[in-house]
Amino acid sequence: MMATISGKSASHGTVRTAIRGGIAFAMALLCGALFSSALAAPGQSAKMAKASPSLAAPDKSYGVKSAPIKMEVYSDYQCPHCREFYDEALTRVIREYVSAGKVYLVHHDFPLAGHKYSGEAARWANACAEVGQFDAAEAALYDHQDQWGADGDIGKYIAASMPVSDFNRVQAIMKGSAMPAPQATVASLDPMAGVQHPCSMDPYIVQDIKAGYQIGAPGTPDFVITYKGQSLKPIYSSVSWPVLKQLFDTLLKQ
Amino acid sequence: MDSSSRAKIWKWVLLICRVALGVIFLVAAVSKMRPLEGLPWTVASVKTSLAMFAMGIDSYQILPQWAVTPVAQYLPLFEIFLGLWLISGIALRISSIFSTLALCAFIAAMGSVWHRGLTVTCGCFGQGGPPIGPKDMMRDGFLFLPLSVILLVGSFLLAKKSRARSAGAGAAVPQTGS
Repeated sequence: MMATISGKSASHGTVRTAIRGGIAFAMALLCGALFSSALAAPGQSAKMAKASPSLAAPDKSYGVKSAPIKMEVYSDYQCPHCREFYDEALTRVIREYVSAGKVYLVHHDFPLAGHKYSGEAARWANACAEVGQFDAAEAALYDHQDQWGADGDIGKYIAASMPVSDFNRVQAIMKGSAMPAPQATVASLDPMAGVQHPCSMDPYIVQDIKAGYQIGAPGTPDFVITYKGQSLKPIYSSVSWPVLKQLFDTLLKQ
Repeated sequence: MDSSSRAKIWKWVLLICRVALGVIFLVAAVSKMRPLEGLPWTVASVKTSLAMFAMGIDSYQILPQWAVTPVAQYLPLFEIFLGLWLISGIALRISSIFSTLALCAFIAAMGSVWHRGLTVTCGCFGQGGPPIGPKDMMRDGFLFLPLSVILLVGSFLLAKKSRARSAGAGAAVPQTGS
């Protein structure tokens, strides 16, 4: 009797184990399916390709186009996080990687509507880029962000950052334009809405803003890194220098 | 329903929960380590993906700078370990404690980012995607965390029951013998 009971219990246990094993196997199959879907996540390259500017905008870049890494930064000159990102990371990128021909750094304007003078600052930066003084203008805009951010007197700091002859050319470009300047609000709204006295630089700013919308920029700063033509996922915030450097180093070791 | 049927149901529920949670952790780990599109699976390409993940962690602005890279490198390994541990069913009470704590930490980190108004992508299943919002927290809070809590409670209940049963059997043996 006892032997029969224990025999039944053993066979019952075997069946239970087999069923549980079957479930584990099914779950493992599900796991495999999830893994393969995780491995085959769609890339960003097609989307990024669409985002590339088509107008021959003034050169707001550092370095050589043939560099293995391209870094496109979307920023607002009146944004404190952008200034922090520029001061702590981008200046080092320029010094250590751009000058070595490893990184091609491109600036895109994404002046946010919440910042009163951001669009106007973008106009000045583009005008300076037109005369080959973009780097000086960018440094001046970030260095004196608090001052011109308070009173809107951007020209004073731009003038101090470059030779008089160049500044005169910049002023000629800016002539006739007045606030408000194009700004980023939401993708469905025209960045030129409300602009009464446009500047010849405005189409380039609008083009940058639209490119920002295409990468899904929710604010600033944002950046996209492209390695040998392959765009990585956009980063929608600033990152610290050591982390950015680590990414560059690992990419360059590929 | 008698107690043995209830125990049987609990065992099934636990099996489903632990395998599902294990798979979630494994998928999360592999998504973080997956090489960028067009790159093969090599040590260098995985390092690049982990460097991207480090940028994601850094943008949360929670950890000190020195901790960002170690966390980015070891978190996916921890997730793989935890995933396999959960699926194996070994020491389920301890693994369920770890998974619950891990999920609570992830939800707290996302809540902190959302509360501070930072526009940061989750990075939970690799880089990319929209910035963190209620959807991400609901996914973790109402889908993943309950699985882990069920596992935690269930594993403790079953252990308690089996202890009580073995104590009862132990007490019964001398009585039968006397």
